[in-house]
Amino acid sequence: MKAILHVIEYDFKNFFRYRWFIIGLITMNLADLFISAVVFTQMTKNIPNFDYFQFFAPGLAVLGLFASAFMIGREINMEVRREIHHYLLSLPMTRAELAIGRVLAGGLRGMLYMTPLLITNFIVLRFPTLPQILLILLTLLLLAVGISGVSISIAVSTTSFEKFVTARGVIYYLLFFCSSVFYPMSIIQVLATKGLGNLVLFAQINPLTNGADMIRSFLLDSPDYVFSPLMLLDVAIFSMIFVFIATFAYMKVLQRH
Amino acid sequence: MGLKKLWLVIERDMRMFIQYKFLLIMRGIWFVAQVALFGLVVNKMVEGTTESLGISYFYYYAAGVTIITLYSTAMFIGYDIFEEAEHGVFEYLLTLPVSRRELVLGRSIGGGLRSFIYVGPLLVVILLILGVSNPLHLLVAVASLFLFAFGVSGMSITLAVAMKSGDKYDILIGVLDALIVRLSTTMYPMLYMQQAMPAYAAIANFNPLTYASDLFRWATGTEGFIQFNPLISVLGLFIFFLGFTFVGVVFYERRLEGGNWQ
Repeated sequence: MKAILHVIEYDFKNFFRYRWFIIGLITMNLADLFISAVVFTQMTKNIPNFDYFQFFAPGLAVLGLFASAFMIGREINMEVRREIHHYLLSLPMTRAELAIGRVLAGGLRGMLYMTPLLITNFIVLRFPTLPQILLILLTLLLLAVGISGVSISIAVSTTSFEKFVTARGVIYYLLFFCSSVFYPMSIIQVLATKGLGNLVLFAQINPLTNGADMIRSFLLDSPDYVFSPLMLLDVAIFSMIFVFIATFAYMKVLQRH
Repeated sequence: MGLKKLWLVIERDMRMFIQYKFLLIMRGIWFVAQVALFGLVVNKMVEGTTESLGISYFYYYAAGVTIITLYSTAMFIGYDIFEEAEHGVFEYLLTLPVSRRELVLGRSIGGGLRSFIYVGPLLVVILLILGVSNPLHLLVAVASLFLFAFGVSGMSITLAVAMKSGDKYDILIGVLDALIVRLSTTMYPMLYMQQAMPAYAAIANFNPLTYASDLFRWATGTEGFIQFNPLISVLGLFIFFLGFTFVGVVFYERRLEGGNWQ
């Protein structure tokens, strides 16, 4: 456990080295909320009982969580390319500890970045009860660790930074555009009428949809969003699968070198 | 100034562009995802409001995404300049029998031209979807988009030579991208920006992306709630092109003096 904590500490120190990157990310997130969402609110004012700004705010927390949890992959890809893992392997810890530490650190960094966005949600929408807050944090932590796992899995499967960036882009577009982060699930059904029924199914089981809708179920007074334990289960399964894949893949890459 | 030498510099930049094959593929996927997923779904979400103005959001957005893609690919030239400074290619470039002015101007034109070549096929697809209102309008719009691409390329060069760190440039481009795209009419009509926050609309009135996207919609007949006289948009893009090409050339030339890029 102590070794894992050291790895997490190492990755947190690295995270703060990217302060300019974080400032850039925050600016982009705030521009999404205070420019795009405000304008789309005007464009959707004909929809009864729907305020786009309020709808999008929880989605933004998930958006920020994804972007920051994914950053660990960029670092690991760089380490693989520059062979920094030789140094990491010389440290007094097992490969499993190193791999688990990296996956957890990626997720925790995502949680750290997302916290101000979540607090903004509480201020703008409403404060949930303590059990609701704990449930939100648990779900988002699972989501963040799962995203970190996806990122690491991709990062170790290629030594090319360009390929990593391309794969990140494809995953980002698929996960975000086929989710309820930007628009309600009821509207996404339109894709089924255009012969894209599989994407609707994907959107329903997408962990980002379940994460965002779970926050909405506690923060929005809308009958459209009701908490279901299946939301938590969906995110937990996603997280477990990718934590396992990432840990295994990272260990294999370390072993190979 | 030798046109042949200028063309050699332009040709080199176009060849360099191919090295970004994965980023270009990603941009293509992004374009398709934006139009086919985001555009379709948001069209459904806002149709109650936008149809009353005679706008199909899907068409409106498809035109806007084309302009965003043109903008973002024209910005790539700045990354090339950082790569060259890091890998010592500047020194090699300065040994070539090409004057500094030819080199700098060629880079600015090459940066714009290659982005236009990349966006060309996407532009054709979008024109097939949206149609053309008037061939003359299209000609004016395409010529203006050329100026827009060269202007963006000049802006990218100006920013790249003004900064010493590639990482900071990358972040600045991200932040600029977030603001310049969102505070323009590429994603939503001016009317709604005005209703949401008059300050946003005021900024969008001076945004080159607004001019470019409005002109493109004008050419395809999907202008909807166009705010500008096309002549003003053409003039705006011409000033943008002149300003940044000139500033970019002057800055880049100065940076080449005495190893300032190191």
